[in-house]
Parts: sequence; structure tokens; C-alpha cells
Amino acid sequence: MRVFGYLMWFFKQEKKAYLIGIAVLLVVAALQLVPPWLIGGVVDAIDTDTLTGSSLAQFMGVLLASGVAMYVLRYIWRIMIFGSSVKLARQMRARLYEHFTRMSPQFYQKRRVGDLMAHATNDLSAIQQTAGVGVLTLVDSLATGLFVVITMAVLIDWQLTLIALIPMPIMALSSNYYGTLLHKRFGAAQEAFSDLNDKSQESISGIKVIKTFGQEKEDIASFRDLSADVVKKNVAVARIDSLFDPTISLIVGASFFLSIFFGARMVIADDLTIGQMISFTTYLGLLVWPMLAVGWLFNIVERGRASYERVEQLLSHSVDIREKTGALETPPSGDIIFAIKRFSFPGDEAVSLENVSFTIKRGDTLGVIGRTGAGKTTILKLLMREFDGYDGRVEFGGHSIDDYSLKALRKSIGYVPQDHFLFSASIRENIAFTDPTISQEKVEEAARIAQVHEDILGFTEGYKTIVGERGVSLSGGQKQRISIARAILMDPEVLLLDDSLSAVDAKTEEAILSTLKETREGKTTIITSHRLSAIQHAQQIIVLDNGELVELGTHEELMEKQGWYYEMYVRQQLEELVEQGGQTK
Amino acid sequence: MSEEKQTVLSGKDQWLVLTRLLTYTAPFKKQIGFAFFLLILMTIGDVVGPILIKVFIDDFLTLRSFPYEPLMGLAAAYIVIQVGNVFITYFQLMKFQEIALKIIQQLRVDVFSRVQSLGMRYFDKTPAGSIVSRVTNDTEAIKEMFVSVLAGFIQSAFLLVGIFSAMFILNVRLALICLLILPIIFFIMKAYRTYSAVFYQDLRERLSELNAKLAESLSGMGMVQAFRQEQRMQSEFGETNEKHYNAGMRNIKIDGLLLRPAIDMVYILALMMVLSFFGITSFDAAGGVEIGVLYAFINYLDRFFEPINQVMQRLSIFQQAIVAASRVFKLLDEKELAPSQSESCSHTIEKGEIEFRNVTFSYDGKQNVLKNISFRARPGETVALVGHTGSGKSSIINLLMRFYEFEQGEILIDGKSIKYYQKNVLREKMGLVLQDPFLFYGTISSNIRLYDDKLTDQELREAAEFVQAHTFIEKLPDQYEQRVVERGSTFSSGQRQLIAFARTIAANPKILILDEATANIDTETEEAIQVALERMRKGRTTIAIAHRLSTIQDAEQILVLHHGEVVESGTHQELLAKRGLYHKMYLLQNGLSHDQELV
Repeated sequence: MRVFGYLMWFFKQEKKAYLIGIAVLLVVAALQLVPPWLIGGVVDAIDTDTLTGSSLAQFMGVLLASGVAMYVLRYIWRIMIFGSSVKLARQMRARLYEHFTRMSPQFYQKRRVGDLMAHATNDLSAIQQTAGVGVLTLVDSLATGLFVVITMAVLIDWQLTLIALIPMPIMALSSNYYGTLLHKRFGAAQEAFSDLNDKSQESISGIKVIKTFGQEKEDIASFRDLSADVVKKNVAVARIDSLFDPTISLIVGASFFLSIFFGARMVIADDLTIGQMISFTTYLGLLVWPMLAVGWLFNIVERGRASYERVEQLLSHSVDIREKTGALETPPSGDIIFAIKRFSFPGDEAVSLENVSFTIKRGDTLGVIGRTGAGKTTILKLLMREFDGYDGRVEFGGHSIDDYSLKALRKSIGYVPQDHFLFSASIRENIAFTDPTISQEKVEEAARIAQVHEDILGFTEGYKTIVGERGVSLSGGQKQRISIARAILMDPEVLLLDDSLSAVDAKTEEAILSTLKETREGKTTIITSHRLSAIQHAQQIIVLDNGELVELGTHEELMEKQGWYYEMYVRQQLEELVEQGGQTK
Repeated sequence: MSEEKQTVLSGKDQWLVLTRLLTYTAPFKKQIGFAFFLLILMTIGDVVGPILIKVFIDDFLTLRSFPYEPLMGLAAAYIVIQVGNVFITYFQLMKFQEIALKIIQQLRVDVFSRVQSLGMRYFDKTPAGSIVSRVTNDTEAIKEMFVSVLAGFIQSAFLLVGIFSAMFILNVRLALICLLILPIIFFIMKAYRTYSAVFYQDLRERLSELNAKLAESLSGMGMVQAFRQEQRMQSEFGETNEKHYNAGMRNIKIDGLLLRPAIDMVYILALMMVLSFFGITSFDAAGGVEIGVLYAFINYLDRFFEPINQVMQRLSIFQQAIVAASRVFKLLDEKELAPSQSESCSHTIEKGEIEFRNVTFSYDGKQNVLKNISFRARPGETVALVGHTGSGKSSIINLLMRFYEFEQGEILIDGKSIKYYQKNVLREKMGLVLQDPFLFYGTISSNIRLYDDKLTDQELREAAEFVQAHTFIEKLPDQYEQRVVERGSTFSSGQRQLIAFARTIAANPKILILDEATANIDTETEEAIQVALERMRKGRTTIAIAHRLSTIQDAEQILVLHHGEVVESGTHQELLAKRGLYHKMYLLQNGLSHDQELV
């Protein structure tokens, strides 16, 4: 029941809805008592031959009124209580989302998208259940149970009530017991199902191996075994699940039998009318639900509690990158000074950058080259302040980047990532990501600079073509160029191209680089690359190896040196040759 | 999250899918018959109880006459029926669920078998996740329908019939009047189905939109933050969230209007009919009302509505299951089968000679990835395929392994077309080592053995020793019984490679097909791999894709591929002497010190 305490803030927030909802529920619980009472009245009137046309009409009038009232009120509490629970889910989902947007890459490195999704879907729905069905069950079962028992005891006979209630606690106990067992077995069944899922996943991923060894039949047999296990575990669930109905009917039957047995004796003794006895048995029927509900309630509440705690834990995860109080709000511009003595990714022993220092004058282009894992992307990540906690300084426009607000800092930076991520939206929306209201001309201009305008016109829907996971599939090069256009559109103070030309051919690369040079006069650009051709023209080139800066200079200076850079250059010339089938141009 | 787009099926299609689903019940005829028998017993028991109480009220209680023996008989009958019915109910419920589960198992195995028989082309165009979803999640949705909808529906139907029969026995006129309830309920059901189908569908779509948006935001969060679009994304998500909320509210409203509250209202109406009937009958002095009958009718009405409530609440499960079933059947009807072998031929592979004769091949029917390829590997020879990515090396292996069907040219083994060997023969005599050695969840020994139970532990160990895998396996805490987790991620790629070698050698093929790993392999394992490769090739015809030219220098024949054509061929020395493409690749891999002229 602790979860209701957790949710108190929400109950307070939605005070009105919950109070109305609960009040209505109580009224419905009371109105439910009317029909059995009327049945008894009619029976007695018939039995004693006192029923008249008008009294019958009166009975029916009350019955109809109570029926209509219950219909309307039942509708109202649903809107109030279930409606609030949907609202809770909406609110918590938005909170979670907002929290997600504030979490740093570090947070996402440690977690899988699937797990985060599970919190936002399964856990929220369990919490929603608690705030809706949970509240309903608690209030309704208590109210109905109490009202019915009181009515039976006060209006009919308290002794008979006690006798009839004897078997009822067994129902609450057994439904709770079954519930626990069911939960456990259901867990086992889920596990078996998930094994089956893993098995299919694996077989389909490993289909080539299976085909190679001609083991289709054997694999099917093993699948059959696993699916038989699923059946077994589910039958175990069914064994418990099927107990509910017979148990109810056994206990209710016993209760009925006792009421009729002792009720009849009271009728003979004239302590009870036949009508009262019939009312009494009908009331018994009303007690079934509260007894069952008590058992369910524990399960709902238990699940809600676990889910709420998980979500809270996620929400309590603090922000990794903190802004200084009174941080500069003006986007930086000017020279960039990068002086890192040492940096390791959080939770990683290995040193990612060591003694990397360089200065970029405003308007210059810096080329960063090195093997995979040499630390090229790390430099960009530090510059964007995705990570703190390095030994050294990063300055931009005369201030440490820590002095700016994140928003201001990132406003000056246009980033084109290595793993070009496009959203499931139109091409236009993807390019105009930073400014959805920007004019079509500006979008097209950015696309032209990125050499992707012609490609886009070639699609049937042009700029309206939907891309991303659920859209048309683009080539790697097209995705890269759209990513570039996205960064160019914001005309940033600093443009970061993180190996972003790897999938475009040499000619297009050349075209992009030369237009960038023209259009970004006076603005800084940093290009990281495997391919030397992408950085050859830069005013300054740094060569990274294993997180260390090994060479620095212009293309000509580095070629002169005959070192790492030179070797790489020769090698890439040869590679190009092989790719073309060995013919020199 | 792989939320599939919901397809809307017409009423007729739904019916077709349902009847096809029902054909799966055929093998369980007897069991189903038994379950129905139990169901009938249970229904009778359920219906008889109130009649006994009616007899008690009318024949004894109202007359205030209590002869001992008949009364005890009545009580005994009531208890026996009630208790007996508890057991029958239990077994009946169990039986129906069990049958449903078995039906689904059969369906699952069918789907899985169908997947196994499909050709690689199908796997190329269908994401693995969606195939898995067909096999498990969709069949699970169908299970839900069988267990909670169909069984519940049948049980409810029986109960209704039973209750009405009892009513007719007790009082024909009143029973006829009670029949009036049916059209009202039918009307509510129909209205609910019509509206909720739309609203519920809408809710599901909103939910999948919400999930898609969330999943995308989570994977693209880096971008969102780099471009400072957090707030805009929040408000966009807020909109989707709002739409989902509205859809949720609409569902609550429609459920509130047409589900339980409405059915409860009908109950009150029915009650009014019954009470009025008896009231009015009682005015007619001659009529005389049997209170017991009234009791029984009221009792029946109490039982009448619960099953209806349950069936209605589960209608949406039914809708989903039908859509899921239609997707499953689509997969079952898939025509993209694996290339067929003519199983009537009884050729065996004796020598292991392989010949490609003018083979041209295309994956998509437009662009040829292999153009007129011809070569011959004599028994015991090694033919190495080299070339950069996309040159067609892997396609040659794909055809040789019969992963894809080819139309032009011919592939011959021992002089006979590869199509005229039984599948078993090919699989037994040809061993492929994949570039990415796929390990299954299990143990090392289960991965070497795969499903071959005839392989003794001794043979298994010998295979591992033969390929140098024994050394590292022995050092593991559980040796051959060491757990292999998903895809063998706890082993280095070199170790995985060695296990894959052992797996191939254990099957003792006549022809060896190697797709060399490109991944970085530590030097120690690398040596083991080289020794193993040399040993494995001995006495076997080998087709090898080589990424490192050093590993195939002793090959009898090296084919250099470029854009699907063989551009150079010969031995290592011959090719080097040509100073062509092979020579350049060799330089690239072995340092440039020998050659500066290229710059």
C-alpha cells in the first residue's frame, strides 16, 4: 500500500477528480443494495397477497430510477478515476522525456534504448493501473463489502449474516494465495516465452550456419522442445488460473446453502420472511467481487510500487554536465584553444587523450587525422562539452567553455556526427532541424552546399520525402550529406565534420569542401577523417595516434617530414588504386 | 520495439482468417469433444442448482411442510451437484486452455519450420526482428484469443443456452419475455464493436506513435542535444503524448457508455420484466405465483450477465489476434523458398571436384554481381578468391552453398550439376566456415556438435585438437562444458573462429569453403588459426576467400575478382610477376618499402 503514499502528490493535484470519483463510487455501492431489497419487497408482497398495481408500479419506478442513476454514476466515476490515471501516465511520461533530454551521452552509453523504453511503457502502465484500477478496487471493494454486510446484518438478520459469512474469508485468502502462485508461475511462463523468443532470434540470425550444416530439422526439433516447455509452463499457469471459478462457486455455494438452511428455519420460526431470505441470497452474490478484489489488489499495488520505484530511480539520476551559475548566455566566437593534459571517459581506465594541445584561429580549418580509436571524435566531444572531468583547458572566444551556458556554447557549434542520425521526418524537417520555420530557399541553399540538392530533387516527393527508420532508405552518402546540410543551415561559428565524408566519392568530397571554403569565409571548421583528401587543404593538420598528438603542421610540412602522415598518404594512394581495379588513372 | 503497422482487414478477410485458424483444431477433435462434454455437464450442474432451491421453496418452505427424507434427499442432491460441479468446472477450464496452448504450439512449429525452409533472399529483405515477431509475439496474440476469447465465448454460449432451457422448463411465457434481453445485448455489442474498433485502433496507433517517437528520441538524443532542440522535441513529444491521452480518454468514455455500466443497466431492465411478470400474475387470483420460480429466475439473471461482460471486454483481443493471425498466415504462404534440390538423384560426392561454368548471377535481377565466372578446382586443390569489398567473392560462396538460386551457367561437383545432389549430401560433404563465426547459446561442446548426437566426446575432442582449439578450451574453467552466451561474446573473435573450425571438422566434409575473418585477431590465436587452416585443407578441395594474402600463398590457384569478374588468375608467384592488381594488393598488405614507384 506504500505506493498510494508515493502517489499522494498526484492525488492531491487531482483532488477534485478523486474526491468526486470516490464519492460517486460510494453512492453506487449504496445504490447496488437497492435491487435486492426491492426483490425481497415484491416477493413478500406477493407472498402475503398485498401487492397492488400501484405498489408494483412504485417498486418498478424505484428500480428503474436506481438503474438509471447507477448507469450515469458509473460512467462518471470512470471518467474521474480512470481519466485521472491516464492523466498521471501522461504527466509522468512527459517528465521522463524531459529528464531524458537532460541526460548526457554518458548516461546513454550505460543504458540500452530498449531498457529505457521499458520504463517509459511497462512501468508507466503499471503505475497507471495503480492510480486507476488500484484506487477503484480499494474503494469499491471496501465500500461494497461493508455496505452489503451492514445491510444484511441490520435490515435482515445479524445472526444469519454471521453464518453466511463464515466461508467468505476463505475466498479472500485463496484468491490472494492463488494470485501469488499465479504471479510466480506466470513469471516462469514469461521466461519460457522469452527463451523461445531468444531461440527464434538466434536461429534466424544464425540461419546460414544452420543451412550450412543442414540442421534445419534438428533445429525445428529443438524449437519444438522449447515451445513444448512454453506449453508446460502455461499449463501450470492454467492449473492455478482455472482454480478461481470453481473456488468461487464452491464458497458461494456453501454460503448459499448455509443461508438457505438456516434462513428456512428462521422462516418457519417466523423470524424472517421468504422475501427477506431471497434478498439475503442476492446480497451474498454482491459479496463475491469484494472478496476476489482484495486478492487482486495486492498484486496490482505490488507491481505499481516496484514500477514507481524504478521510474523514480531513473528520474533521480542527476545531470552530469552542470552549468555555472551566471553562465555566459552569448554564444562564443573567436579563437579556440585546446590544451588537454589527460582525459579518460568516465568509468574507463584507458586514457583517451594525452597531451593534446593546439590553437585554431578564428576562420581557420583544422584537420584531425588518425586511426579508429585514436581520439579524433573525443576532441570534438570535449569541445561540445559532452564530457567534463579532464585535466586541462578548452577555451573558446577568450573564455573557458565551462563559462558558457550549454545552450550558448552549442549555438556556436554545428556538428555532423560520424553515425549520421536522421529522424523519421521529411528531408526538409531534417535539414531545418534547428529552425523548422526557416524559408525553403535557405534549406535548399544548405542542401546545395552539401551537394545533396540534386539527389533530393530525384526523390518522388522531393524535400517532403520521409526518411529515417520508417521512411525511404537512403545511401550512406546521402544520409551524410543531409546531416551536413543540417549543420550548414544553422551557419555555425564552428562547423565540426566528424569523419562525415567517408561515404561520399572523391569528386563530391572535393565539391563540398570547396563550397564550404567559399561560403564559410571567416568561420572556423574542424574536420576529422580517415582519408587525407578531406583534410589536405586545412591550414593546420594534427595527427593523432593512441590519444596522443604525434604530428602537427600543414600538408606540405607533414609530407616533408616523411613520418606517419607521409606513410598514410602513400598507402591511401595505393588503396585508391586497388579500389579502381589496379588501373592508374 | 517493433510495432507493426496495423492493417485493417475487411469483415470477409477476418472471417477467412478465423476459419483458417480453426482448421488447426482438427487434430484435437477428441480432446475438444471431451472438453465440450465436460462443459455440458458443468452447464447442467450450474443450471440445476437454482431449480433444486426452487423445489425446496415451492414444495416445502411455502407450504411449511418438512418431511425428513425428501428434504435430506434434496439437500444431498444439491451438495453432490455443487461439489461435483466444482471438479468438472476445474477440469473443463483446464482442458480448454490446454488444447488452446497445444494448438498454438503446433502453429508455432509450423511457422518456424516455414521460416527454416525459406531462401536467403527472404532473409535479405525481411528484418530479423519482424520474423521473430511472427514466430513468437503474433502467435502469442493468437493464444490469448484462443484461451480467453474463444474458450470464454463457447463457455458463455453454453451457459446462456442452459439458462434459457431451464427458464423454458420453469415458465415458458416468462422465458419468452426474457428472450427480449438478447436483441438488446446484441445491439449493445454491435454498437460497442463498431465504435471501440475505431477508438481502440486509434489508441493503439497513438501508442505505437508515442513509442516510436520515444525510441527515436532516445537513439537520437545526441543530435537533439548537439543542436539544442531539447525544448522543441519536448513540445513535440508533448503533442503526441496529448493525442495518446485523448485517445485513452475516448476509450474510457466508450467503455463507460457501452461496457459494464450498460450491461448492468440491462440487468436492471430484465429484473423489472421478471418482477412485473410475477407481480401481474399474482393479481390474477387463479394464477398463483410460485415464489421458487421467481427465485430461480432472479438467480439465473444474476449469472447471465457476467459472462457477457467478460466476452465484451475481450473483443479487442479478438481483433488484434485476427490481425496477428493474418500476418502469420502471410508468412506461412511465403513463396521465397530455398533453392530446391532434386531429391530423387542418389549421386554422392566422391572426389570433390568443383567447376564453375559461365556463371552469371544477380541478387535483384538488375545488377549482375557475378559476370560469366568460370574456374575449376581439382580434388584436393585450394582455390583462393581475392578482391576488395563488393567484388563478388562472397557471392561465389553463396551460390556454391546453394543459399541462392542461379539461372545462368552451371556449377558442377564431380562433373554433375550441383542441383542434382540431395540436400543432405551437399550439407554433409561441404563444410563452410563463415567470416563471422556464429556461436549459439549453449556450451562449447554443443556448438561443435551442433545437433549431431552420433558424435562421441572423443571425436569431438579430436576435432578440437585437430584445429588447435583444444589448448584454449582446456584452460577454461569448465572446458568443453563452458557456457557460451549469446553469440559467444565472451570469446575473442579468434577463439570463436577456432570453435567454428572444430565444428566444421567434426562434420568431416569433403569440400571446404572458407570465408576468412577480417576481424583483428591476437597473434597467439592467429598462429593457431594458420596451423589449423593448413591442416584442414589437407586432402580437401578448398575454396577460400582470403583477406590476408599471406594465408593463401600456397594455393594452387588464386582468382582476383573485380566488379564480379575474374581479372587475374594464377599462383602467387605468377600473379606477383604480373605486377597487376594482385601485386598492388600485396604491397598494400606487406608494407610499401619494396615499392616507391606507385607514388
